[in-house]
Amino acid sequence: MKKQTYQYAESPFNMSRREFITIGGIVIALLALPAVWIRSGIAKRNSYIRARTKGLYTDDTQSKVRVSHGNTAVSKMYTDFAQHPLSEISEELFHTHHYINRRAA
Amino acid sequence: MGSKEFILKHSLGVRIFHYILVVSFVPLAFTGIVLYFKPYDELTMNLYMRIHVILGIVLTLDAIAFFLVGFERVVTFIKRMFTFSGDDVRWFTILGGYPQKFLLRKKVPVPPMGKYNSGQKVFGICVVVGGTILIVTGWALWAFPHILPVGMGLLFGNLHMIFGWILSIFLLVHIFLGIYMFDDFKAMFLHGMIPYGKAEETAPKWVKTELVKIENHV
Repeated sequence: MKKQTYQYAESPFNMSRREFITIGGIVIALLALPAVWIRSGIAKRNSYIRARTKGLYTDDTQSKVRVSHGNTAVSKMYTDFAQHPLSEISEELFHTHHYINRRAA
Repeated sequence: MGSKEFILKHSLGVRIFHYILVVSFVPLAFTGIVLYFKPYDELTMNLYMRIHVILGIVLTLDAIAFFLVGFERVVTFIKRMFTFSGDDVRWFTILGGYPQKFLLRKKVPVPPMGKYNSGQKVFGICVVVGGTILIVTGWALWAFPHILPVGMGLLFGNLHMIFGWILSIFLLVHIFLGIYMFDDFKAMFLHGMIPYGKAEETAPKWVKTELVKIENHV
């Protein structure tokens, strides 16, 4: 069987070098811009969590009482009523022995 | 010109790219539609998702390979896709003469076209833009959902769905017209060549301005 041949093909000079560089550059730029946008979006994705954390640390720094055992109201409650942490009365009143099993429910 | 003369319309590299594109995109569109409607049980849907992902990887590798190896072809294709003239406007006013041909059995004069007609240009733009968006969003949704911001994840999901539908619907038209233009179909799937006379009729601008005569090529 005779192999089919072709007598015409596209000229390799249909596009000037200037056109090639311009269009090629636009294509690469259009591919790169979304990449930059996605990258910056990912980098900023936890910004609200970081802002909240910073706020909490600022609150802590500005607070006069920073720990629960330094809270005068709690200290007064133990002195006047519950004796000390893990005392019998604390165990009875503050500790719970039952929970809701959400899986079973 | 003699009727036995041929033009090389699609080089081997373009044809190989197109073969892999066909093998990957057609089942991608099908599995994508199944994933959208979710008609089966969880296990079957999971299998569809796996097939969708594997074919997506094949499509991505095909696109990247062609972009790197045939960058000059990519630039030429984009130039052709985004070059419009008055002839394109006139082509759209009669829709390339196809409705008249199919519905009224009437042949109307069609403005002279280049290598691709105006409809193919619109399809080409959708393929380039939509295909890129589908690849980028698909990878982001499959491989990196844990690092995507919530809003970006939602946007990517919607874009993937919208462009998936657009290209799937366009694909049906493309397949129908591709087979209807049987010389073009043979050129893309078999030997890459189109008869000179046929090209002169369907793409006179291309024949007149972009071709050179060569000898002894097989």
